[in-house]
Amino acid sequence: MEDQTVLTVKSNAEPEKISHSFRCCICLDLLYKPIVLSCGHISCFWCVHRSMNGLRESHCPICRRPYNHFPSICVMLHRLLLKMYPIAYKMREIEILEDERRYDFFSPQLDNHACGPLVDNECHHLNDSMQFSGIFCGSSSKTGSHENMEQLQPVSVAMKNGTSEQSSIEGITVAGKKLPPNELNDNCKQISIVDVLCTACKQLLIRPVVLNCGHVYCETCIITPTVQQLKCEVCQCLNPNGFPKVCLELDQFLEEQFSKEYALRRDVILNHEFATMCSMGAGKSGFISSSGAKGEHSSWLADAHSKVHVGVGCDSCGMYPIFGDGYRCKDCKEASGFDLCRDCYITRSKLPGRFNQQHTPEHRLELVESSIFFDMMMRYVTGQREDRSAAVVRADDVFEENGSPATLPDNAQESASGALTTPTTNSDNLTDQNNTDSAS
Amino acid sequence: MVRVVVDMNSGGGGSGVGGTSTSSWVSTTSVSASGKRIQREMAELNMDPPQDCSAGPKGDNLYNWVATIIGPAGTPYQGGIFFLDITFPTDYPFKPPKVAFLTRIYHCNVDSAGNVNLDILKDSWSPALTITKVLLAVRSMFTNPSLHNPIVPGIAHLYLEDKAKHDQLAAEWTLRFAK
Repeated sequence: MEDQTVLTVKSNAEPEKISHSFRCCICLDLLYKPIVLSCGHISCFWCVHRSMNGLRESHCPICRRPYNHFPSICVMLHRLLLKMYPIAYKMREIEILEDERRYDFFSPQLDNHACGPLVDNECHHLNDSMQFSGIFCGSSSKTGSHENMEQLQPVSVAMKNGTSEQSSIEGITVAGKKLPPNELNDNCKQISIVDVLCTACKQLLIRPVVLNCGHVYCETCIITPTVQQLKCEVCQCLNPNGFPKVCLELDQFLEEQFSKEYALRRDVILNHEFATMCSMGAGKSGFISSSGAKGEHSSWLADAHSKVHVGVGCDSCGMYPIFGDGYRCKDCKEASGFDLCRDCYITRSKLPGRFNQQHTPEHRLELVESSIFFDMMMRYVTGQREDRSAAVVRADDVFEENGSPATLPDNAQESASGALTTPTTNSDNLTDQNNTDSAS
Repeated sequence: MVRVVVDMNSGGGGSGVGGTSTSSWVSTTSVSASGKRIQREMAELNMDPPQDCSAGPKGDNLYNWVATIIGPAGTPYQGGIFFLDITFPTDYPFKPPKVAFLTRIYHCNVDSAGNVNLDILKDSWSPALTITKVLLAVRSMFTNPSLHNPIVPGIAHLYLEDKAKHDQLAAEWTLRFAK
């Protein structure tokens, strides 16, 4: 049934004109399964994955900000695009799926499990707002939308079938009347505030930031822990790349689309901020400066004992390539395999794989040895001298042979302590290098 | 998650990476994806061509382009028409295009074979860059040669020592080869 509706839609309608904000900078096409990097720039799932570096840290194609983790798809943005450009988005889906079948690598299927809790939340909210402000006036559309919701909750976010699409359009045109008509084309009328709510405050997003897990918050709604890493309130996933930057494309879109509500929200937030400026402001800026993806990464590199799994990424947190211990699933049959980094292995992450693998918690994972050859090459590539890592390897051997460092002969102890001190100097060099890189 | 075989010419590294279960992912950048992107760039170029530049496929092959840049006014290259050869790799835009001058030019960042010494065509390449931006970068090279990193040090040296002589030579070459 799904396919039939797609075909009919396809045959009697041209793809919509796509706003420049939602064009991927890499494929120059409509964003498909969008991913927002920690710098706030958006690209398609595959475009981000392919532009990542399997050997070392990756850089944003637009601003070149370094990052180490492959973020999850931003489901909210995915749904928004599907709603705004149903035809073009569907065409992209068909096109990408064809490619994925050819190579036997699949992107996550968002319509089933990946966004279950999010859907429920938003549906509840839709319910609330309906009772609250009475968006739906006609009785016929009211019943229609209730049906719609019953369908939505168990099945899917992406309202693919014709009836749900229809009723949602009906419901939202009423909300759309509030907006200045000149700014909107026909497609955008389907968008309402319920599509762009903050995960935390359940109000219109303002200065949105997207975490590594793909959940969207207002910049001001993120509770920044002073000691720990930033954590998503919904999925409890840690956000590894420091405090994310505002997704400006989305912010601009929201401001244009919901100018009245946006201004209202901004005023409220400004007032609130003014009141709590002293305490909050200081804490936040301190957090930003203290946690940088760069520092995190260089410490991994500098740690002579850390392994690098070239071209292998963690399917839970998205670290790519995996630094340190890596674990691979023995039971996943997919070509992409299923791997976890040490932290995610320990926390027994239950997230599905990044490439739609059928991994279950019952599967067995095994520790993967990374080869010394690649380790050394990696160090060579990233600017660390080979002789140092060789010295470290020798020191390791001595440790193993003698059991404990206390029984080491003097010269070996020297070399061992030498190896231990090298990381610090290395990290200095490395940060210097990074600094000059980013400066130039 | 996916493992990619490191982009080395010999596949020998693959055996070292971790035994038999390693699935090598050669490159999932399909030819159709890069072709689509090139087509989009072509449309964009036709709609909004950058100043003094033009580019398009040589023949039927979408991956081989020829571009022209008109020497900007106020430089010794003024009025010259410079032809460039652009070759797109099959994994474009994740790898930079190869750009080379077909027309001979007296410039410290272009060697005698026409190879362009531009950082964005090498390590600083980003998949967000397009041919339009590359052409603009080459064009700006005419006005601002990068003197600290020349591919022909002699020309850069002359530029610093005796700019008038350099400009005169460059203008002569332009007249001889580019008009």
